Amino acid sequence: MSTTAVDSSSFLGYVRSDGRVGVRNHLALVSTVALCNRNAELAAALHDGRRGPDEGPVLLVRGEFQRGLQASDARLLDDVLAQLVAHPNVGAAVVLCHDRRAAKAWQARLAQGGKPVEVLAVMDGHGVQRAIDLSCDALARAALALRGAQRVACPLSSLTFALECGGSDASSAMCANPAIGRFVDAAVAEGARVIVSETAEFIGGEAVVRAQSASPEVADAIIERISATEKRMANDGDNYRGVNPTAENIEAGLTTLVEKTMGALCKIGTSRFESCLSFGQPPESPGLHFMDTPFFSPCSITGMVAAGAQITLFAMGVFNPSGNPLAPTIKVCGNPDTLRHWADGIDVALADLIEGHITLNDGAQKVRQVILNVASGALTHTERWGEGQFIVPRMLPTF
Amino acid sequence: MPRIALTVHPDDNVTTLMDERVDEAHTRHGLTLTSPVPFGHKVALRDIAEGESVIKYGVPIGVATEHIAIGSHVHVHNCR
Repeated sequence: MSTTAVDSSSFLGYVRSDGRVGVRNHLALVSTVALCNRNAELAAALHDGRRGPDEGPVLLVRGEFQRGLQASDARLLDDVLAQLVAHPNVGAAVVLCHDRRAAKAWQARLAQGGKPVEVLAVMDGHGVQRAIDLSCDALARAALALRGAQRVACPLSSLTFALECGGSDASSAMCANPAIGRFVDAAVAEGARVIVSETAEFIGGEAVVRAQSASPEVADAIIERISATEKRMANDGDNYRGVNPTAENIEAGLTTLVEKTMGALCKIGTSRFESCLSFGQPPESPGLHFMDTPFFSPCSITGMVAAGAQITLFAMGVFNPSGNPLAPTIKVCGNPDTLRHWADGIDVALADLIEGHITLNDGAQKVRQVILNVASGALTHTERWGEGQFIVPRMLPTF
Repeated sequence: MPRIALTVHPDDNVTTLMDERVDEAHTRHGLTLTSPVPFGHKVALRDIAEGESVIKYGVPIGVATEHIAIGSHVHVHNCR
């Protein structure tokens, strides 16, 4: 592998010991439970104040519940946190637990990870200041372990993309989504992995799922998840198929639910679904995959990133700030009005598609070029603003 | 200046208007609009019979509830 040769199908990334490729070399500080969040925030701020000019800021993952969750929700949360630590965009990590027993369990779990990871129990600090200092010391050791990592040429096929859309309007369906879809077709042909989620947004798109699934079994599995979500929504008192498209959608020109869903589905291109994944479940083969997630974008993106996506492609009509701190989020937009006012939050401008100055192939090419630049280290606007959250869903009541 | 109308798929029988020039009755592709149509809304690319599918993205997105003449606004009043 070379450290310079980059063509239209390769970028400079970090090859990890498990064979996966990172587009960032983050130092992650993972607080496993809300009790450790303040310690983590103060330690990260202290560390960032002393960091060298060539070091990025600490990537902070804040905890919430842990205690008090029912078993399946606690398991999902722990799985997601472990997958974030193992994520190829993480070069080294410090994991904060409240007590020593939890720390021992995390140490055992992360022992075979093959990357520098240190697990701490805040209760080992014997004093608030001392506990913060311990976290800071661990960050300093992890930062040292990160040094010297080299980017080398890697193929586009080593990437997993998370697809997302927000603030959808007529321009999303005409510019951002189809340009992403055109890129997805090429990326899948080259052997990349692509995940699309937000189950509720597939309601009305069952025919597309059936037509674009690798097998009837895969289509059945996806449609079952869509029906289950639709049923849960109905039981909540909202029949989304009845009220969708909304009054705002109708005013914007969307006539039927199928039209709305089809606009969003443009982003999958003509590829076929290879599998139906649960929240955070990594895809086992190249190609396009469906993931069953809530439709709130910070949450759905968390699921796809936990599954290994190194880059998020986010189609916008009107502006939506959402992004993911770990997988650089590339904002693609074709609405001329949004581009005029929110240029400092958009990475790929596609209004030229509307004017007819460029073709969809040109649009897909622009998306690809920005992806390769970002994969090689160029910062996205969401990274520049420090935007983004990790949100793991809870399906059951808490204790 | 004629209006910008974008057609997504070769099989589509509707096209979407992508600018705000609602006072202009002609599109760049020579289609004549029968009424002012807002940004993001659709018009018929050809006559669509009552009961015929309205096709966008190459798939039926709805059914015409009345005869829709070429250049006419296609929306909830004539498509379901």
